[in-house]
Amino acid sequence: MNAIIEALGLNATLVAQVFNFIILLIFLRIVVYPHIVRILEQRQEYIASNVAAAEEERKQAEALRRQYLDELQKAKGEAEEIIQKATKAGEDQAREIIEAAKAEANRIKEAAMQDIAREKEKAVAELRDQVATLSILVASKVVSEKITADIQRGMIDEFIKQAGDLPC
Amino acid sequence: MSATAGHEGASHSQDILTRVHHDLNVWGFPDTPVDIFGYPMNLKTLVMTWIVMALVILFTVSATRNMQLKRPSKIQLMVEELFQFLRGLAYENLDPQKGASLMCLLFSLFIFLLFSNLWGLVPTMMSPTADVNTTLGMALMVFILVQILGLYYRKAKYFKHFVEPFVFFLPLVLVEELSKPLTLSFRLYGNIYAGEVLIAVLLGLIPLTATILGGFVFSVVWLSFSIFVGFIQAFIFTMLTIAYISQVTAEHH
Repeated sequence: MNAIIEALGLNATLVAQVFNFIILLIFLRIVVYPHIVRILEQRQEYIASNVAAAEEERKQAEALRRQYLDELQKAKGEAEEIIQKATKAGEDQAREIIEAAKAEANRIKEAAMQDIAREKEKAVAELRDQVATLSILVASKVVSEKITADIQRGMIDEFIKQAGDLPC
Repeated sequence: MSATAGHEGASHSQDILTRVHHDLNVWGFPDTPVDIFGYPMNLKTLVMTWIVMALVILFTVSATRNMQLKRPSKIQLMVEELFQFLRGLAYENLDPQKGASLMCLLFSLFIFLLFSNLWGLVPTMMSPTADVNTTLGMALMVFILVQILGLYYRKAKYFKHFVEPFVFFLPLVLVEELSKPLTLSFRLYGNIYAGEVLIAVLLGLIPLTATILGGFVFSVVWLSFSIFVGFIQAFIFTMLTIAYISQVTAEHH
């Protein structure tokens, strides 16, 4: 055993080296190690929080997008409704205008017909009068001697009656 | 004949090594152990360890001072990445709760070994890990820690794994357990010490004029490979520590 130790050159340096290393270990444990662990933990937390924040923001953006889409859809619906209403109102108005125009036209037509009828009656009456007067004049001239005035009058009225029944 | 030739070659290379070591010993460290507090110790290893400890402290403290959350400095980012890399390893192999309680040890172990391995590449300096005392000390510490953690987490059930699957396996399991600190220490020691020896051999083999005329390329290549080896060995030591701990603390069903 001693020969082996002699051959390898082993001596108390071995113990001293272990002692040295343990001193270094204790020093690093106290001075260096906590800082490394702390910074690594902080970095891990930082990254984790960043990832969580990014996820949160993504969710918010998604919600916002959905909201906008909903609003867009709603706005589209409303616009359609408004257009439909306007179209209907326009059609209604057009129909009203047409009906009013028709009524006006009817009224004017009625009035014109009445005027025409009145004018016709007036003209007919006038004509009857003139025809009677003329007939009397002619008749009195032609048969002034043969028939009395009363007989003449009766004949003429009959004639006019016949003539009035005629369409003119 | 060949044996003597081999012996002569060995003594020749030994001569080169001692000459280079003698030339490089500008700080005047004694080659033999000196007595400190009545115990023989390798003074050079100790001084180099203290320098490495100071460098580790300087590096980690300057990295953790004024730590920024949003705009980390480069050195802070290095330490953070290193820590997270080790934590990933620990959490994968142990469960997160055990891993978190061991993180400080693993981090210190890795950064100390890394700085130790790289420190030997600075001219006239020496890796503390190029001394078998350092590596064996660390490995024994890990070994004892593994036993303690096994007892702590598995209580009496811990002793059961010595006699599994049969009682006859006890010697085998004991050899396996004892070989762990040995392999752990000699792997690290061998890699780093060999790296330093080859650096010295290259310095001794290639004459100065050849070095100036392009011989330095070999040294540069070997130094860059040594940097790689330094990282790898520190990683392996830490990874094996994690593996050993996970072996003894794993819950068997």
